[in-house]
Amino acid sequence: MSDGNSREVLRVEDLHKSFGGIEILKGITLAAKPHDVISILGSSGSGKSTFLRCINFLETPDCGRISVNGEQIRLRQDGKRGAFVAEDPAQIVKMRRKLAMVFQQFNLWAHMTVLQNVMFAPMRVLKIDKKDAELTALAMLEKVGLAEKRHHYPSQLSGGQQQRVAIARALAMEPDVMLFDEPTSALDPELVGEVLKVMRALAEDGRTMLVVTHEMGFAREVASRVVFLHQGRVEEDGTPDEVFASQKSPRFQKFLSSMSNK
Amino acid sequence: MNDLADYANQLLAGALVTIELALTSLLFGLLLGLAAAWAKLAPSPWLRHPVTLLSNVLRGIPEFLIILIFYFGLSNFLADHFDGAIEISPFFGGVFALSIIFAAYSSEVFRGAFLEVGRGQLEAGQAYGLNRFQLFCFIRLPLAWRTALPSLNNMWQSLLKDTSLISVVGLEDMLRKAQIGAQYTKQPFLFYAAVALVYLLLLAASNPLFGALEKSANKGFR
Repeated sequence: MSDGNSREVLRVEDLHKSFGGIEILKGITLAAKPHDVISILGSSGSGKSTFLRCINFLETPDCGRISVNGEQIRLRQDGKRGAFVAEDPAQIVKMRRKLAMVFQQFNLWAHMTVLQNVMFAPMRVLKIDKKDAELTALAMLEKVGLAEKRHHYPSQLSGGQQQRVAIARALAMEPDVMLFDEPTSALDPELVGEVLKVMRALAEDGRTMLVVTHEMGFAREVASRVVFLHQGRVEEDGTPDEVFASQKSPRFQKFLSSMSNK
Repeated sequence: MNDLADYANQLLAGALVTIELALTSLLFGLLLGLAAAWAKLAPSPWLRHPVTLLSNVLRGIPEFLIILIFYFGLSNFLADHFDGAIEISPFFGGVFALSIIFAAYSSEVFRGAFLEVGRGQLEAGQAYGLNRFQLFCFIRLPLAWRTALPSLNNMWQSLLKDTSLISVVGLEDMLRKAQIGAQYTKQPFLFYAAVALVYLLLLAASNPLFGALEKSANKGFR
């Protein structure tokens, strides 16, 4: 999918993160080119969600480098606790506009209607005027098939519908990279399909996506690259064909067999 | 009954003072309460502990006593140090005392309500690039507001009734006017019963207002 000479939209180098003395990420390096769809697999505790959350600084990495569109996020050591903090909080905010996140628990704003949820960040963060934001929001809701629910509140929708709204909310930011944190793990099995269908369409549109998932079908069929994390390290990295065919690491074999038992 | 009619204008003027005092104290009490709740949740212990202590002390002292301490204490202090250049009016003193009482209680209500806002909702705001101010105004406060409203309604009822305490410092509120009328006409029961009814009516009028606020805050929740 990725053409060799194009720039990298996202580059993560040697990312480390510990919680309470336990190292969750032990130096992860990963780069995404435009139109890449990268599936990040791993058993629970492998650090895959933490990795995703570090990329947009919902968790602050202990060390490492992150660049978005070639612009590196500057970190400095906080004197008191020794932890890394952003040198310039405004830079984090600016970078987050380019990385839209879709959460496992949807995290739609409960006091806003579907339409308000999708319009809100473009209006307040990108400073797009209300009319344009509404047009964009409606187009994005159309894309996920929920335009007719625009005046509903999140609590009036099924989990699958809420997640599709959350995807529309992410799309409305016109992000360079979309981050999906186990987008189907909180859904009833019969609702998983509608969300995966939307994500598949996004991949076909050429969106750059990082998808932490347990959906092996998606990783095999939709992803352009598969990364397998184990105990905070990258164990496998390649095209789905390579990774699934070779299964170099015994841990990946074990992971696959545990997934197929489900 | 004619005695009451003779004093109707006086009582009405007193009722207006009562309403003004209650609404002004509500406004400042809410703002102070929000600020205190924010301080109680601040990471810095230098902010958190003093504010928590102050709010606990204020909640541990009878309202009546707080009003006496603040009004007479503050008046004497200002008289001693500024030679009477600054004087506190009973209205100002009343607003001051009632606001901090309201703030001491509402800060606890807001603190609890802020803590109840789901982490995910805030994270979504952060992840979409909202700054701290936007996060507070558009996500945290509206969601906490909903949880806080029923308790705030209760506190508003107490506040409206507590305004009557300010009559001890000479404010001509509704109760003070009734006292005057009762003394002159020697009909205390009539006058006190009449203002009791007005307090009840005022609260009865504010209830639908809170009902509407709660209904609008509950949109989107089941």
